Amino acid sequence: MKNKSFILIMILPTLILISFIILYPTISGVLLSFKNYSLFNFGNIKWIGFENYNEIFSDIFYIDVIWNTIKWIFFSVFFQLILGFILALLMKEPFKGRGIYAGLVFYPWAVSGFAIGLIWSWLLNGQFGVINDILMKFGIIKKSINFLSDPSIALYSVILVNIWYGIPFFAIMILAALQSIPNSLYEAAEIDGAGYFTKLIKITIPYIKPTLINTVLLRIIWVMNFPDIIYGMTRGGPAGSTEILSVKMINTVFYESNYSLAAAHGVIIVLILLIYTIMYLKLTSKKEFNI
Amino acid sequence: MKKFILLLVLVLSTLMVFSEEVITLNLIEAFSSPWRTPTLNKIIEMFETLNPGVKINVISPPYETAYQKINLMISTEQPLDIVEIGDWNLSTLASMGKLEDLTSYINSWSEKDDLIDGVLEAASIYNNKPYLLPHGIFVKTLFYRPDILEKYGINTFPKTMQEMYDMAKKLTESNKNQFGFDFRGKGYPTSFIDIVVTSFFDDIDPNNMYLTKSEKIIFEDPRAIEALNFYVSLYKDTAPKDSINWGWDEQVNSFVSGITPLLFQDPDTTGMLNEMIPGKYKTAPLPLGISGKTYPSFGFVGWGIPNYSKHKDLAWKFIKFVSSAEINGYWSKAYGALPILKSVYEYDSYFSSDIFKGWRDMFNSEHYQFTQYPLDNENWGKWNEFQEKTMQQVLLGKLSVEKCLKEWTDFWKDAGLGK
Repeated sequence: MKNKSFILIMILPTLILISFIILYPTISGVLLSFKNYSLFNFGNIKWIGFENYNEIFSDIFYIDVIWNTIKWIFFSVFFQLILGFILALLMKEPFKGRGIYAGLVFYPWAVSGFAIGLIWSWLLNGQFGVINDILMKFGIIKKSINFLSDPSIALYSVILVNIWYGIPFFAIMILAALQSIPNSLYEAAEIDGAGYFTKLIKITIPYIKPTLINTVLLRIIWVMNFPDIIYGMTRGGPAGSTEILSVKMINTVFYESNYSLAAAHGVIIVLILLIYTIMYLKLTSKKEFNI
Repeated sequence: MKKFILLLVLVLSTLMVFSEEVITLNLIEAFSSPWRTPTLNKIIEMFETLNPGVKINVISPPYETAYQKINLMISTEQPLDIVEIGDWNLSTLASMGKLEDLTSYINSWSEKDDLIDGVLEAASIYNNKPYLLPHGIFVKTLFYRPDILEKYGINTFPKTMQEMYDMAKKLTESNKNQFGFDFRGKGYPTSFIDIVVTSFFDDIDPNNMYLTKSEKIIFEDPRAIEALNFYVSLYKDTAPKDSINWGWDEQVNSFVSGITPLLFQDPDTTGMLNEMIPGKYKTAPLPLGISGKTYPSFGFVGWGIPNYSKHKDLAWKFIKFVSSAEINGYWSKAYGALPILKSVYEYDSYFSSDIFKGWRDMFNSEHYQFTQYPLDNENWGKWNEFQEKTMQQVLLGKLSVEKCLKEWTDFWKDAGLGK
């Protein structure tokens, strides 16, 4: 019993701190979503039940937002993983100038997502964008592509930038895992006559599998909650074609100044992520992913 | 002894300097920008020099979140003495009951009669009381590039919407990356759409742009169908397709580079254009619609005083200083907004140059009727995003003009407008 009290006393400061910085904002955010707290209601704030949620689910554009979010997460994470993996493999072996090369590869990670969005919105501009100019000069296209204003390609344009932005994260994580693989495994495989791809499939990937799974699953959470690039490039337009859940939430604050409705959007995002996290924890706790 | 007296004098004078009470006024601005904030700081320096013992602490939130910050700071009575208020958040702040009614201050102000007509009325949209004194006026006008138009044998500017469409179409050669009209698709395109749509009417309510004089919502009127179809043609036939995704930055850049030589914009655009293409642009009145009228909105931004401020008189002293003819002229010239005092237009030849012809002619013509948005309507905040998104869908062919107008009508009926 004494031991239990001692443990409780020791973790109390942490509990108090967590309550202040996580629990309080979360609870007040959930409570806010059941009120009518908006710019035009400062004098008449009251409890309105599920009205904000009703408004969200009766929005004819909401299904498009969810669909955009799924595409945004899937394509972004899939290509970030593949390209990050390739980059990590290329950087695994020491070579001259590796430091400079690594610096260039990791550069996007050092810049703010919003600034990246703004820069790319100019690069991809249909009238005076550098990308169109380069493609035309090389004869790849004859007419400017409206990367951000054509709704059929706008979402893929922002995804492309997000892939570019997220590759370094995967490269860093995977590179660290690759460097932990004992060389003796490869040496033994080489003695047995294994080639590059056999070593990749039989040694490299199984060895770093836990890192790959953890990184992908964590990255999905981050990408879902990452409106910066889209906000800098299109603000969710044209006609909502690049609007994902987190951008919708920001637009609700900036355009409508409706803090309660934005909180309701936030609660929905949290609920989705909560379900996802439970699945994630169950998945990662299985022994088959541990070596 | 002499040394002792000298030391005593030094110590006493130092004590006097440090014991003088310094009053700090907190000022928050709403439109911070690299073009404008340094000008505000220079004016503050002048005021502080003229008023020893007064210090002004400037809070400059990022432009995108400034209104939210101001509204929250005022609602929670955080220390503020001077607050910048725009027409779009005036009703919100005034309805909280946290703004000082400036009537008595303005009535005792010696330059009051020099204010241009309509400024005080426009600033008194809430309960007919002036809760702010505007420091700049915003009215959209037509900017054009004579150098580009001349290349196409055009030596004038369009006087009507139809002339503008014809001219813009003549200028459009998409294969040469040359277009006519500088379109705005995102970032509050509201006033841009509404200037075109209302120009098809001749009976707009001067107190509410979305109502006719018979209190009918304009979007359920057959003239709105014609107007919106015209707007769609303007985009499809004369503007870069990419401009559906353009805000102010892209618009101005396209105008500066000459890709789109016709532009509707506010006067604060002049500050940037004077730096980038001095002498290469002019302004003209907004083109008239088929009704023979055009209905620009009369935007304004000004300074107010929170009623819980402990230094209201000193805050007014600063507002009075900023609004004096000399400072207002300097401010408007650097910032680009239209001055609020008549005398500024007379004493400074800059305001009688070609750059300001568009506004001068509009102010002196009966064909232009200034109207107001329903800014105090609870649904106003939602409207901008809704109108932008639905309008973009129309431009992309995903929504018909008729369906869009029906949605706009329903929106405003739900908000309590119209008969």
